[in-house]
Amino acid sequence: MRIGRAGESRGGAAGAGGKTSEAPLSRQAPHSPRRANEDRASPAVVATFRRYAFTIAGIALGVAGIVTLGAMGERIVRFIEGGDRFVLGQISVAGRGMGMGAGFTAGGLLPAATLRAIAAVEGVAGVQAQVMLPLNPSTSQFMTLTQELVLGLDLTVPMPNRHYRTLPVSAGRFLRAGDRRVAVVGSAFAVSHGFSVGGRVTLEGEPYEVVGVLERTLTAPDRFVIVPITDARAQWVAKDRLLRTLLASGAAALTADDLNTGAAVGWKDGEDPDRVARRIRDGVTGVNVQIPSELSELLRSSTAFFSALLVGLGALALVIGGLSLANTVAAAVFERIRDFGVKRALGATDLDLGREVLGEALAVTLTGAVLGVVLAIALGVAVDEWVGRRGQELFLFSGRLLAGALVFAVALGAAAAAYATLRIARLSPAEAIRRGG
Amino acid sequence: MLLAEGLVKSYRAPTGEAIPVLGGVDLAVASGEFVVVVGASGSGKSTLLNLLGLLEDPDGGAVAYGGDRVSGLGRNAAARARGRFVGFVFQSFLLLPALTALDNVLLAARYGGRAGPDTRRRALRLLDELGVGHRRDHVPAQLSGGEQQRVAFCRAVLNEPPLLLADEPTGNLDDVNGRVILDALRDRARAGSAVVVVSHRPETLAGASAVYRIHGGALV
Repeated sequence: MRIGRAGESRGGAAGAGGKTSEAPLSRQAPHSPRRANEDRASPAVVATFRRYAFTIAGIALGVAGIVTLGAMGERIVRFIEGGDRFVLGQISVAGRGMGMGAGFTAGGLLPAATLRAIAAVEGVAGVQAQVMLPLNPSTSQFMTLTQELVLGLDLTVPMPNRHYRTLPVSAGRFLRAGDRRVAVVGSAFAVSHGFSVGGRVTLEGEPYEVVGVLERTLTAPDRFVIVPITDARAQWVAKDRLLRTLLASGAAALTADDLNTGAAVGWKDGEDPDRVARRIRDGVTGVNVQIPSELSELLRSSTAFFSALLVGLGALALVIGGLSLANTVAAAVFERIRDFGVKRALGATDLDLGREVLGEALAVTLTGAVLGVVLAIALGVAVDEWVGRRGQELFLFSGRLLAGALVFAVALGAAAAAYATLRIARLSPAEAIRRGG
Repeated sequence: MLLAEGLVKSYRAPTGEAIPVLGGVDLAVASGEFVVVVGASGSGKSTLLNLLGLLEDPDGGAVAYGGDRVSGLGRNAAARARGRFVGFVFQSFLLLPALTALDNVLLAARYGGRAGPDTRRRALRLLDELGVGHRRDHVPAQLSGGEQQRVAFCRAVLNEPPLLLADEPTGNLDDVNGRVILDALRDRARAGSAVVVVSHRPETLAGASAVYRIHGGALV
């Protein structure tokens, strides 16, 4: 397999000198033009294709490896970035202590009086009570990053999260104030459980109508079931026997409004969120306040393993794919050593050879790279189709990944071709012909 | 046209030992001459031709084309000199396998900046003259050895070089095809080119202006 046959064909010759690009001979020949045209085209085209095919296939496999591993890395990055963006968009507050709440607001009860105290802190723009519960409170689900959560929102106040003023839906609608027994489900949750708008989801024995499906975020909300907070509180009581007993005993002076696992707090324009969070911590008793920057740092450190895995995946992809690609291109050039010797004998200079090889290497590498990208996407779509039935998604083929892979492949192909050409150019024509013999 | 003085060349054996091949060869070939160099296998005939055609550098001595010294030029200057002055015919044809016969011939014009409609017409005429015009769109693998050498000859003379160097041009051909190539080379000499043919076949000697035997690294 070789690179470079295109440059030696009529088109290529025109590219090199622009002087042999006249009409095909068959058009000038008076006899049997159609037959001549076919005879003329097929052998050269077939020979060229045969010589290119393995080079292009080799490059395509290398690039497909890079893109596939890169897409898995991108998926993990998006998950981590999404979480980071969410926690940096709000101040998360929970009651002091350990309750059964989950997710960002894990902690003890956060009573209504405490919410009012938080709202009165300087710099606070809004407080939204929340109830966050594990859908399935088994340990195995609770401890995973992909746990399915029920999120109850107080819809009488606007979403305080600066990065998620609304959670956009791909179908149906989001929740409205006054809704009861309705749910909006995350995209992964909808796929894995087979829900769509108009369907019914049963939570703690009660049926809920699915009124909306969230757009895919590639992070936590994809596995959420979002319901009005009143319904979430009812589920909480139903789930928690201790809480039920406590309420029934009348030992604690609790109303329904006091049943909150946490709150999302927004800050006014111009305020420093960390400073507002510290004011809440210092000024309101009985709360656990997550400082946004500290929570972001915590999230990043807790996902350090994934970050390291990501770096490893990327490095592995670049090394394996890059070596495969560079080796294929360089081998294709070295294989043409005799042709270089012949061209040298005919008067080709370093510039002539370099220009031809580089142009051909770029064309072949780009073709292989595009095929590799297509192959990787096809593979990723097929795998995601399969794992998607369980609500999983392994690959994210982002624009930056695809563009980066193409640029990397073409640059590496050009560098490998240039290196091989320089090595060959140092040989005398006689030596090149002998070695290629 | 061609002047070589004191050409010396040796190769290195894998052990590092120097193996002398040419020990000071002088040769002058005027335009229109048809010079034949004969010698046993391994006597240095091909090495001499490589040095005359600037395909490799001598260890000593010099080569001049048309009175201009061309030995010791850099890689690119030597390539340009070859493209301008020399046409090669090799024993193993050395056609590029993915190019058609016509494109192989036109390759000679590409690097000298001579490519164009006139060159193309000339290439087609040459192929017709050598009896392979009907094979112009075939790749080398679809040509016989004789046809390949005819195409290679067309490539060598496309630019009308003043010097033609042929290394065992009939070595892989049958008698009929060998005669065609030798006649074509003699025609080039009659047309004014300086022609040097390295061969061990006796029929090459017919019509030669001069015949040299290479022996012990020298021409006799």
